[in-house]
Amino acid sequence: MKRDSLEQLSLLVVEDSPADVFLVREALKEEGLSCHLKIADDGEKAIHILDGVDAGDQDAPSLLLVDLNVPRQNGEHVLKRLRRSPRYGKTPVVMMSTSDTAVERKRAFELGATEYFCKPSTVAEFMQLGKLVRNLLEARHGTAA
Amino acid sequence: MTQASDRQNPLLAAEQHKIGDLLSRLWEAEETIRAIYSGEADAVVVNSPSGPRVYTLEGADHPFRVMVEQMHEGTVTLDSNRLILYSNPQFAALISAAAESVAGSDFDRFLAPADASLFAGLIEAAVAGGHSSGELHLCDVNAATIPVRLSVNLLDVAGMQNLCVIASDLREQRRNEAILKEGRLSRLILEQAAEAIVVIDPRGLIVRRSESANLLARKPVLMELFDAAFPLTAAGIRLDTDRILAAMRAGEKITGVEAQMARSGVGTFALLVSASPLSSDGNELLGCVITLTDITERKRAEEALATQADQLARSNSDLQQFAYSASHDLREPLRQLAVFTELLQTRYQDKLAAEAGLLIEHAVSSAHRMEGLIKDLLAYTQAADAPQGPEACTDANEVCRKTVATFETKIAQSGASVDCDPLPLLAVHEVHLTQLFQNLIGNALKYCGQEPPRIHISAQRNDGLWKITVADNGIGIDPAYKNQVFGIFQRLHGGGKYSGSGIGLAICQKIVQRYGGRIWVESELGRGSRFMFTLPEKKNETR
Repeated sequence: MKRDSLEQLSLLVVEDSPADVFLVREALKEEGLSCHLKIADDGEKAIHILDGVDAGDQDAPSLLLVDLNVPRQNGEHVLKRLRRSPRYGKTPVVMMSTSDTAVERKRAFELGATEYFCKPSTVAEFMQLGKLVRNLLEARHGTAA
Repeated sequence: MTQASDRQNPLLAAEQHKIGDLLSRLWEAEETIRAIYSGEADAVVVNSPSGPRVYTLEGADHPFRVMVEQMHEGTVTLDSNRLILYSNPQFAALISAAAESVAGSDFDRFLAPADASLFAGLIEAAVAGGHSSGELHLCDVNAATIPVRLSVNLLDVAGMQNLCVIASDLREQRRNEAILKEGRLSRLILEQAAEAIVVIDPRGLIVRRSESANLLARKPVLMELFDAAFPLTAAGIRLDTDRILAAMRAGEKITGVEAQMARSGVGTFALLVSASPLSSDGNELLGCVITLTDITERKRAEEALATQADQLARSNSDLQQFAYSASHDLREPLRQLAVFTELLQTRYQDKLAAEAGLLIEHAVSSAHRMEGLIKDLLAYTQAADAPQGPEACTDANEVCRKTVATFETKIAQSGASVDCDPLPLLAVHEVHLTQLFQNLIGNALKYCGQEPPRIHISAQRNDGLWKITVADNGIGIDPAYKNQVFGIFQRLHGGGKYSGSGIGLAICQKIVQRYGGRIWVESELGRGSRFMFTLPEKKNETR
């Protein structure tokens, strides 16, 4: 699949920290992905967007980046809500967290996360997120195309 | 013939005189016998050449015989072989035998076997001193034992040493003693019982009470109405004698029912109430025994304990919340600080003064160090958490071997040698023992002197605990700091000489303490260190 076709895609980022939203943009930019980003700064807003998608009012995102610790409804609730959707339930989801405990990681995968990204404290490591997103999008839309 | 008669006359007269004398003596004898028979005389004393002699006749026994037949005690006479010559009816009745079957029996037949030697002693004493007595047991024909007092008297009849044995039945006396004793016992119990114990009659009147019942009621309660002395409520409903007696009549027992008793000016007592019925042989309810245990203090202590447990649980949950904050909430801004400072450095390097790069570097390294500290602190708070899974049992040899393997590179680089004696099976979780060895062996490798590190691990068993020693030849520790080294973030070396946050030994101590063991160090500066810790042995270990 060509790079420009990936740029048409829109991603849903569920993240309450503007700093991390900034870093996510940087990581995608670094990878040359200028997808449209829809931001939900709490879980409730994310679930509302997913409800809209199911109702046909909104376009479905091609991928979700979900921070585990967002206000109101946490990341786990958002993930569960997505996986229940009959039409878009198989969308790839990257769960993100600052902590990296085995318990959190295991639970995320049990709930259907596609990847688990532990937010690192160096620039170089954070930029790896871009590569991760590209791989997931290509795996999905590459086969679909 | 007459002449002859006359010649013979003096002889005849003498004979006639003799006859008269004999007749008078006969009359006298008959008179004596009659007197003795009639009870006018008991015996006749006759002077004989060998001294006075006493004669009695059988008939003289009569009044005594009557007495013996009528007396309350059982009486027998025995010959020297303890054969019963005579038994009065009371003795026969005492041993539940037919009167006619007793005479002619061996007395020992009716003696409790355990008391045979006691009886032999009584006889011996009677033969020697004429009389003896003692308490022992007879054995009736149904083999039931009867406590008696035996009085043994020697009867020296015509040179024959017979014995007269009088047996007094002690059963009634024993029963009375037992009753008295029981009465004393129950009084003693009532006096000493810590619980308030009262006996009420069917009208609800207190007819017996323990001392403590008075104390609980703060007044004498004997012959008071129970309901007035002890106004009880249980679960908000009055627990009065009507209810208690009704329960007794229904065959229900009251056992440990929690009740309250309000006392004006004193407060409310918490009591445990138990009641058991008192019934006659005819199953008529005579009343009941009520026990009131004052648990006010216990309840107060329980409540205090519950409050403490609550506070502890809250503080524990606070601690967990803190651990979570440390792992996430605190680390997030730090991580961002590090990343953004780094971004600033990489993107604006050419626009910043030369010194700015150095300052940013310090900022980044500070953020990273703080992140490390937070991670260590988190590790410390979670160090002694029990992993899920089966009961802890760990082979220390295996753990030690694996841990040494993780230091392979360091050991090779420093030329260190690590010797490990045979180690035991320990009742600890593997993850905890791993942390202990990792920290102690790691320290031994880290704090080495000029010589290549030599590390020796050994074990000693003492009182169900194993003492594991990790000894090295490193730089040692000033004994002044031997306790301080186990504190959180305690470091003895500044600057960058030896890396580390100073959490390792604190974690070791927390783990060891979790198993009831302890950890300590023996060391001198420059002469190596011996770290020792104790852990419980695995029960039924096969080593």
